[in-house]
Amino acid sequence: MERKESIHEMSDFLLDYAISLMGAGSHTARIVRNVVRIAEAGGYEAHLTIFQKNISMMIKEKSTGETLTGIRRIKPMALNFNIISELSALSWEAYDQPISLSVIRSKYDEIMSIPRLSRWVVLFLVACANASFCKLFGGDWIAMLLVFIGTLVAFFARQEMMKYHFNHFIVFISAAFISSIITAAGVIWSLGDTPQIALATSVLFLIPGVPLINSIMDILEGFVLAGMSRLINATILIICISIGLFFTMSILGINKL
Amino acid sequence: MEFLINIFIDGFFAAIAAIGFAVISNPPKKAIIASGVLAAIGHGFRYYLLHATDLDIATATFFSAMLIGILSFVFAKLIHCPNEVFTFPSLLPMIPGMYAYKMFLSFAKFIRCDDPDLYVSLVVDAFKNGLTAIFILIALVVGVSSPVLIFHKQSFMMTRILKPITK
Repeated sequence: MERKESIHEMSDFLLDYAISLMGAGSHTARIVRNVVRIAEAGGYEAHLTIFQKNISMMIKEKSTGETLTGIRRIKPMALNFNIISELSALSWEAYDQPISLSVIRSKYDEIMSIPRLSRWVVLFLVACANASFCKLFGGDWIAMLLVFIGTLVAFFARQEMMKYHFNHFIVFISAAFISSIITAAGVIWSLGDTPQIALATSVLFLIPGVPLINSIMDILEGFVLAGMSRLINATILIICISIGLFFTMSILGINKL
Repeated sequence: MEFLINIFIDGFFAAIAAIGFAVISNPPKKAIIASGVLAAIGHGFRYYLLHATDLDIATATFFSAMLIGILSFVFAKLIHCPNEVFTFPSLLPMIPGMYAYKMFLSFAKFIRCDDPDLYVSLVVDAFKNGLTAIFILIALVVGVSSPVLIFHKQSFMMTRILKPITK
């Protein structure tokens, strides 16, 4: 990488890069590794502190000893593994080839504008996934069908609510409620042999699996505070799911799950 | 023979589940297929361990996550992605979601409960579900990342195309 850019531009880019990785759902060690790698390639030394809401970074130009500290707030973003993959590749590209910061910046902008998968495809696949999850827990075909319909409606509702930026907790409570009350039809009219399993698996598509894995990963890698904050966030979402399910059970008077 | 078929059925549905839960986090297209295959192998292996041996669910999960971790190196070489992009989605069918929310449901029931005979059983339920959930979760992560610790050098370079394994 050639060194024409100012330390301000470098710091600006690295912070953008770091918050994008964080928002896309990377674990903390990868963010630190990638940022330090790009900084090294440009002849800088970078030190990061990462929390759930903010990233602060100090970079130092090795030749002149000039330093700059910057803090940036992490923008909430939907999980996006494609961005993690592409941005990691970009960091190696910067490390292995002499490319200038402006080129890296334009490649970064390109990566960030890659469109997501169509929401309808996601909706259909998630419903299929939850139905097959029901099968894994021993549900029969009718239970699978119930879970499929419940998930289809609830995930659609979740997508719509996310679009209008509803409160996260309310989205999870209502999605769990919608999904479970639809599948509870099986319990009320005793459809099939395993309506209880249908009800129990109907909310599992909401479980924040990737944040849970990331949190344990962070804690084990020594980023204990970042990991704990992820774990607590994920736990709150799970509590919201239980609240939604509990509403359904209380309204319909279902005691056993 | 029937046991073998059951393992395949288990793997097949785990693959669909993994693919469906993977697309929520928008992975690269190649990684979606990889996570489906890995989930089928991992979940099928766990089904085998749970039904053919005496292992408890957390230990069985640990070994199948480890299998996924080892195989992930092969896939990472093939499709040039960071490991976690397809290993995390392949772990999603094994996430102890049901245990986790059952813990909170038991707590909610405990608060509303008036019957002294039920108190203890509800607390035991909550404790057992919660502990199982956290143990499975830790087993998943430790299992999948232990091969990374063993093959430390190779693991960070999967996205690097130009100079494979020089520094």
